[in-house]
Amino acid sequence: MRKSISSVLLLLVSFALHAEQSYQAPLVKESLLLDIASGDITVAVGERGHVLIKRADSDFTQVTVPTQSTLTAVTLVGEHIWAVGHDAIILHSSDGGEQWQVQMYQPELERPFLDVMFFDSRRGLAIGAYGLFYQTSDGGNTWESVRHAEFLNPYDREYLEEIRQEDEEFYQLELNSILPHLNRINRGQNGTLLIAGEAGLLAMSDDDGQSWQRLESDYTGSFFDFVQLDSGLMVAAGLRGNILVSEDGEQWETLQTCNTATLNSIITGQNKLSFIGNNGVMVKASLPLKTSSFDPYAAPTLNCEPAAGVSVSQTESKSALLNAVSVDGQTVVTAADGIYSLSLD
Amino acid sequence: MSSFSQVSERLIFNNRPLVIILFIFATLVLAFQASRMQLDAGFEKNIPLNHEYMQTYMEHRKDFGGANNVLVAVCDKDSDIFNQYFFDTLKNVHDELFFINGVNRSLVVSLYSPSTRFTEIVEGGFAGGPVIPADFDSSNPIALETVAANIEKAKIVGRQVSNNYRCAMVTAQLLELDPETGEALNTLALADELETKLRGQYEDDQVSVHIIGFAKMIGDVATGAKFVVLFFAIAIVITAFMVYFFSRNIMLTVLPIMCSVIAVVWQMGLLTTLGFGLDPMSILVPFLVFAIGVSHGVQMINAVEKNVIKGNNAKQAAMTAFRALLIPGGIALLSDTVGFLTLLVIDIGIIRELAITASLGVAVIILTNLILLPVLMSFIRFPEHYLDRFAGKESKSEGLWHVLDVCTRKNTAITIVLVTGILFALGFVQSKQMQIGDIQAGAAVLHQDSRYNQDTALITDRFEVTVDYISVLVETTPEACTSYETMRAIDDFQWKMTNVDGVQSAVSLASVAKVVNAGYNEGNPKWQVLPRNQQTLVQAISRVPTSSGLLNGNCSVMPIILFMEDHKAQTITRVVDAVKDFRQQYQTEDTRFSLASGPVGVMAATNEAVQAAQTPMMMYVFGAVIILCLLSFRSLRATISVVLPLYVVSVLAQALMTYLNIGLTVYTLPVIALGVGIGVDYGIYILSTMNGLIKQGMSVEKAYLEALKERGSAVLFTGITLAIGVSTWVFSSLKFQVDMGILLTFMFLVNMLGAIVVLPALARLLWFNRSEK
Repeated sequence: MRKSISSVLLLLVSFALHAEQSYQAPLVKESLLLDIASGDITVAVGERGHVLIKRADSDFTQVTVPTQSTLTAVTLVGEHIWAVGHDAIILHSSDGGEQWQVQMYQPELERPFLDVMFFDSRRGLAIGAYGLFYQTSDGGNTWESVRHAEFLNPYDREYLEEIRQEDEEFYQLELNSILPHLNRINRGQNGTLLIAGEAGLLAMSDDDGQSWQRLESDYTGSFFDFVQLDSGLMVAAGLRGNILVSEDGEQWETLQTCNTATLNSIITGQNKLSFIGNNGVMVKASLPLKTSSFDPYAAPTLNCEPAAGVSVSQTESKSALLNAVSVDGQTVVTAADGIYSLSLD
Repeated sequence: MSSFSQVSERLIFNNRPLVIILFIFATLVLAFQASRMQLDAGFEKNIPLNHEYMQTYMEHRKDFGGANNVLVAVCDKDSDIFNQYFFDTLKNVHDELFFINGVNRSLVVSLYSPSTRFTEIVEGGFAGGPVIPADFDSSNPIALETVAANIEKAKIVGRQVSNNYRCAMVTAQLLELDPETGEALNTLALADELETKLRGQYEDDQVSVHIIGFAKMIGDVATGAKFVVLFFAIAIVITAFMVYFFSRNIMLTVLPIMCSVIAVVWQMGLLTTLGFGLDPMSILVPFLVFAIGVSHGVQMINAVEKNVIKGNNAKQAAMTAFRALLIPGGIALLSDTVGFLTLLVIDIGIIRELAITASLGVAVIILTNLILLPVLMSFIRFPEHYLDRFAGKESKSEGLWHVLDVCTRKNTAITIVLVTGILFALGFVQSKQMQIGDIQAGAAVLHQDSRYNQDTALITDRFEVTVDYISVLVETTPEACTSYETMRAIDDFQWKMTNVDGVQSAVSLASVAKVVNAGYNEGNPKWQVLPRNQQTLVQAISRVPTSSGLLNGNCSVMPIILFMEDHKAQTITRVVDAVKDFRQQYQTEDTRFSLASGPVGVMAATNEAVQAAQTPMMMYVFGAVIILCLLSFRSLRATISVVLPLYVVSVLAQALMTYLNIGLTVYTLPVIALGVGIGVDYGIYILSTMNGLIKQGMSVEKAYLEALKERGSAVLFTGITLAIGVSTWVFSSLKFQVDMGILLTFMFLVNMLGAIVVLPALARLLWFNRSEK
């Protein structure tokens, strides 16, 4: 594992400059909302620093947070909430969303965080564009930047190694700009971690994210979600509706759906998987999946037939669906046109 | 004053043949001119061009187009649009509209325009093309399927294709100047072409064509306005019949009506000579002129008849009548003229035109009905037994006059004034509820079930984005769209405006740039932000063409387009107020958020101008009446007696407008002023008699009785006759004319009642020391 430790960030000074507050908008529930997480409470985040919290027996209400940056992801550990997003912002609340602190804000980076996860209330990871990878072991008081060259495809890695032989500084510079976007981080089975990313990136870690192995699927489009089922089956979904499935991480097959809209999230359910994505597309597939061999170069066929057990539908608004959780027996989805419940049955 | 009358009398009646020859000559010339009169409608006439918003609108009209749109929805009656016949028809409609003279050809948009494109995100980046490809063959079902898929990708459902996929829209903007002649565009000719070339040619069993926009609306008004002539004819016949009943003499019937018609001919001739046309919305003014003419004509024949009964010959009677009526009639007409002229201060073209049209018309009545009419009447030979016909009439009406004279008794007078005060208070409260601007969707001047309003309803029902939008223009420095701060300000402002009640959705360069930025990031909504990096921002913006209407050539001006739920006045006010409030936070020295463009922007300016004009207009009109009354009566009490009932009636008329759901618009604003013009005659005629007699020492009761004997029948008769004439307008095919018919009927009648009931009661109380013991 290679990592370069940036200076521990003492960000208090820049926070003082960053005094803007999110705007309490009547239409917040119809705004672009990008992620949702649920535990004792349910939290949705989105554009302009919108944070909505639903506690038991009440509806989603907007809370004011000290930013207007677009928040792309949120995670919960008990009463702790972390939300990350553009301008490399990390927001934290330790009391279920009453008080908020900015743990990081670096607009000059010009890189957004795209996902965040915490193992417990102290150890966590925040990932994002161009291989952005921060870790903390003190609940986010200090964040440490790490660059994982393992995310590169073999060809780029070889090229970078050559550079490194000659010039370590240039290597770091190149690494900084060549790393793919890290779109999604999830827990796999047996304590593993999974990352989905740009340009065919699927990676796995079995040491809590200290080191990563890239999984090769022969697909060069981006993945936006990557999960491992109880059975150990790995499922990745991404650009143009591609769904790739593998039992061992080496041999990949596809699930034919005939849908070409990008899929943003995989929602696991009893005996079935649901995929939600752009254009309001919802793909439902019953388990076990009827996969077929994957040819990334196949031309689209005219008379496409979805695999058995697969059905595709579309919401009426046809707005992009980002993520969904189950709240009080209902599936609540965050979407480009807001937050609402959706039937995935 | 009386010496003036005497001099005029001598001058005119000593040269009767010459006077008549002059009038014949002038009438011939002006009739020729009037025959060339045309209906003339223009979009900009309806706009307060000097209003702050309209200055912004005019300044940027070149870049962002005007607010004068035409929307043509082509709908399939039986199925969705994806069939050969529909697409062929749509193409024909597009091409036909494109070639109609006056259409801005660069801004004709439909599925067939090359600017209607789709983009989709594929592994390699963007893919896209025109929604209808160049090699489109409408007979090929696969090609139709491709277009159907492209329509989805282009996200134009709700805008260019209806939500139910049964209609497609062709939109165009109109030029202000005719590109062929360089003169003002003939909107009515264009409206005619829209009707014949689009609907006439392409609407059939399978496809319907729905056209809306200012040009079509005013065209439909003009079509309906042609029937106004018919209503004129009906009103003239009714009036003639009534006048004959009143005068029992053919000549006494023909002459006042002929003189009033001559006044209308002169008015039209003079207008044409001055280079004006008649706006369809002002088409009722000639009738008003006729009505006012009849009102004065009846006074004249009444006076002549009374003199004949006294035993004078026709010439003497005519001269006496002339002398008696020149001053009160002249004052009444002059105050009308001046009152109408004051409308000129309102800076809206159509109201100024109306001011000129109406004041010209009223001014010529001074000549036709106060001079020509008595001269012509002096030639009448009354039959021997003429007097016998009136033997009973005088005594019959005598009874009525005694009943009316009760108004001048102290207690009755107090009661009348109290009741009037209560009515005024109720009317005043109601009139304050008057809505500014259009109250319903569609065109208020047309019936709800008219084709135009049905088309509006269909289009607003089936499409999401129609003509109800207002643009806030962000005026800043060149290349400002590459500045994150500027774009961020636009984006934040837009979001706050989107949250305002009444705003349905909004679009700007900033909001589009965010979507494009997500597009550059594989369509991932998590990247739907404004990039802080300038190169990335430029990359996003470079995909937005100026033809989108979201930026000008050097992006120093960027509109934020707010689509509204409706164009009711209070919605507009709320949105405009929010703009003024929120923009304070985002405006800097060189970035201004200026109001306004777009059809609702024009409405906002017009509403504000109309509202601002309402009070001054009343002040000017009443100011003119008050000053002229003071000058002629030289009595404050007389002036109050005339003006107060008039004012009460105008407030009640406003209350009636509120009750009838007639909004205050550029078209309805002048009606109240015109109503004052109609009403002032009665009061002045009655009071000029009373005033003289009271000054000679007569009691109010007696003076009023004398005034009634002398002029009462003419006042009663005029009010009733004209009310009957205009009440036929409720059968008009134009909603505007129906509304005006109701309002004018009300004003003719109630002003008449004001003059014979409230005026004497007021006079009785004001001259409290001049009553019978």
